Amino acid sequence: MTGNIATNAASSGIVFDRKKLKALAKRSDRPGLIWLAQWVVLLTVTGWIVYLTLGSWWLLPAMMVYGTVLTVPAYALSHECAHGTAFRTRWLNEACLWLGSLIYFEEPHHRRYSHTRHHTYTWHVGKDSQMPFDTPMTFRGWLLETTGIALFSYEIRVFALNALGRFSDETRTFTPVSELPKLKWGARACLAVYALLTALVASGSVWPLYFILLPRLLGGPVMLLFTLIQHVELQENSPSILESTRSFRTGCIGRFLYMNMNNHVEHHLYPLVPFHGLPALSKAIADQLPEPDPGFFRTNWEVFQVVLHRSLGRSTKAPSLRQAPNMITAGGFDRLSKASMS
Amino acid sequence: MSEWVRVCAAEEIDEEDLIRFDHGGCSFAVYNTEKGFFATDGYCSHEAQHLEDGLVMGTVIECPLHQGRFEITTGKALSAPVCVDLQTYPIKLEDGDIFIRL
Ligand code: FES
Repeated sequence: MTGNIATNAASSGIVFDRKKLKALAKRSDRPGLIWLAQWVVLLTVTGWIVYLTLGSWWLLPAMMVYGTVLTVPAYALSHECAHGTAFRTRWLNEACLWLGSLIYFEEPHHRRYSHTRHHTYTWHVGKDSQMPFDTPMTFRGWLLETTGIALFSYEIRVFALNALGRFSDETRTFTPVSELPKLKWGARACLAVYALLTALVASGSVWPLYFILLPRLLGGPVMLLFTLIQHVELQENSPSILESTRSFRTGCIGRFLYMNMNNHVEHHLYPLVPFHGLPALSKAIADQLPEPDPGFFRTNWEVFQVVLHRSLGRSTKAPSLRQAPNMITAGGFDRLSKASMS
Repeated sequence: MSEWVRVCAAEEIDEEDLIRFDHGGCSFAVYNTEKGFFATDGYCSHEAQHLEDGLVMGTVIECPLHQGRFEITTGKALSAPVCVDLQTYPIKLEDGDIFIRL
């Protein structure tokens, strides 16, 4: 196969000095290990608070905070390790891919292979295997997405099919045939871990319930609000990442939990740049990029308003959110694409 | 019948880097590594992505699109998502120029 067809910097008309790019893409274990240590400290502190609040009404907010600290970084770590960019040391990268993916709820090999399609055909209808919702998004779609119902129902089906070795056509499009056995055994291994946790809970052990299962469920919506705004309301089928993808501003906590993936346009332009190089990359090419959208809360609030208005048949023009022209109507809408993760 | 074809002057390829070389309708990647100069197929064996914008680390080339890795000296696919090896090509240095045998 020849010819550059992927959605990336070249297809988006972005130019950047090769030597500078190489410097930013340089691999090291240090930033990843520091990030990992900070995550463990945060989990210990917030987990300790969960422990202290057991039996009181404070348990719910404490568990939501702990669940956010557990789930958003697990997603981000799984994503970064699927690219193989979190650490220079390969086994460390693979171990963290498994850890993050188990918490996120996706078999690691499937995670890696389905994500390759997302980069080759970013937000291309019928080709991108990680379009989690129909476009344009409606209030119903927003609810299914942010509660995790859509993700869980998709992944449960993938786990079941892959564990049985009955791979869907979708899975076969992005997985080399020689790798399918790895997906099968990976799915079986993950299901064994989940079965073990369930058995522990069933036998009266509460710690997996309080420190893994319930926090994963409660933190899930925050994680999904981070991932939702990567591409929602942006242009399908565009060769340009600038049109299909969104970066947004967020504070130091958001940047830490999300491993700098708020620089999502930059990540899609140059996926070989590790998470710790993204802020510098963002600065270096800022003059070629659209302004990042406002903060995490503001961006999500505007998305929520837009999808609600769409479902109510009202104008879908957002106050400041970057939207593709085909997302903006005075009322009413036509279905543009069906979710590939459904 | 194979032949030696001039690629470029050796100094044109930075250390720990590569260039793209197109010849006869085919595309190649020519590397300057800590172990010397090497050549492989230019396109990644996973999808239609040229390796010219990839990252050379020691004697490993990482594909710029999905970060699959190959051992440059042997063309061996090292890590997912790549699982098909690259073809390698003999290289020689003569009077400061790099030649590839095709
Ligand atoms: S195109 Fe090279 S790893 Fe996918």
